[in-house]
Formats: sequence, structure tokens, C-alpha cells
Amino acid sequence: MPLDATSVHVGQELPPLVKGPITREMLREYGPAAGDPNPIHVDDEFAKNAGYPGVFAHGMLSMGFLGEFLVNAAGVGNVRKFRARFAKLTWPGDVVTCKGTVTAVRDEDSVRVVDCEIWTETQTGERKVVGSATLALPR
Amino acid sequence: MPSKDMIGRTLGTGSATIDAEHVAAFARALGDTNPAYYGPGATAPLTYPIAFMTQAMAGGMDTFLELGLNFMTLVHGEQEFEYLRPVRVGETLTLTGRIADIYEKAGSSGTLDFVVLETEARDTSGAPVFYSRNVLISRRS
Repeated sequence: MPLDATSVHVGQELPPLVKGPITREMLREYGPAAGDPNPIHVDDEFAKNAGYPGVFAHGMLSMGFLGEFLVNAAGVGNVRKFRARFAKLTWPGDVVTCKGTVTAVRDEDSVRVVDCEIWTETQTGERKVVGSATLALPR
Repeated sequence: MPSKDMIGRTLGTGSATIDAEHVAAFARALGDTNPAYYGPGATAPLTYPIAFMTQAMAGGMDTFLELGLNFMTLVHGEQEFEYLRPVRVGETLTLTGRIADIYEKAGSSGTLDFVVLETEARDTSGAPVFYSRNVLISRRS
């Protein structure tokens, strides 16, 4: 259910989106589709040599999940700004839940502008990718 | 380590024509089934610019290498987009990149170098379509 421009309010939660669990197959598919050839996401030996316990998900994969989540909430063409910081790594097996909260609402011309705090968290509740977004809902 | 003298340097311009099959493959890789991303009249998912920006800006690679970042430890720290409208399949965008900022921070395992790249995309009428801000981080070797 998208956000309703007339009733949206500060503190409101955006409808969560659950993705995953992350599989190695997803990582093998995302890299070429995104033009990201970094073997650290698909080759365990390479990742171990770089000091990680194994392969981990592309930060932009999680940001992509957040993008789907924002479009579900606002509709195509209604996202104005979208920022993400890749704070912690997401691993194969992790279930990624996209969440968000409305932090400000204001009116501009024919739209209701909604600022949100957004993040992904995994099954342990740990926040992995954190950011913000500005939505413009037709009213 | 990157020299602050490089702040403001252009990374050149490049162009990208948005291909329907590439957009659909990208959406599928995200597991995003929104019908808006599939077919001849499609628009692209919000993060799709990442799939063509680097390649379109390949002409700026020499300047990028001049930064002297440690590629062994290079990570994508932050990404920001501002959208004027959705990217549409079939259109050609012109991208212009610049080095917006360079700074360093002390990390627990050594000095971290931060480089901020800004890219703007315009359509064939010259109207802006999106702006991108990309923060890269590398640990000094």
C-alpha cells in the first residue's frame, strides 16, 4: 500500500519490504547486471585474501532493495532524493528488511513532500545500510 | 594519497543509451517485479544509474587513477541520487563528472582517504535527469 498524501504524518512507518535470504546466486547475478566486476562478492578465496571471512553482498544491492521499497511507498517518479551509507556488510544467508520512518512533511505547489529516514536491517536487528529519502506525493 | 589540488577537476563527459533489456536484467537481479521496469515503455529502477555511470565515464579513468587511491582497500562508502524524473528506456543521457571533494579521516587501522565524485546526467534537450554523489573510501597502504 503506497503512502496516502492526505494522511501521511511524522513518525509514520513506511510499509516494510523483506528481501532474501541473500544467496550466492543473487550476488553472481547482480554484479554483471550492475557492471560491477569485483570478485570480492563472488569468490570466497579472493574475499579471504582481502581479509574478509568470505563473500559479501554489494552495497548497491541493498540500496536497490531500498529503491524498490521507496517506489512501493511513493510510486514511480515520486522519489526526489535517495541517500544511502554502507555502514555494515550484508552476508549470504542474511534476510534483509527495508524499513523507514517519516521525519518531516511539508507542502509545495501540487505535492506533499515527505522526508524519511530509511535503513536495511537483518534478522538480528542490526542496521546495515542507513540513509534518507525525500518523496513527493501528488495531492 | 589523493592531492586536494584535484578537487574540482573534471572527470570528463560520456553518454549512455538506456537499453530495455539491460534495465529489465537489472530489475530482475534486484528481484524487483514492478511492471514499470519491463518492456518498451519502461522506466529504470532508482539505482540503475550505477549500472551505466562508470562505463559512460570511462574517459575520466586517467584522472581517477591520478588520485592514487589504494584499490586493494577501495570501498563504496555512500551513494546519493537526486532525481528530476525517471530514466527512460531508449533515451540517451550525457553525463558529466567531477571530483567534488577530497578529505581524510583517522581510522582504527590507519588513515582513510575519502573522494567524493559528482555526476550529472542530462537528456538530449539539455534538461537535467539526475544528479549522483558517490563517496569512495580507501585505507592508505
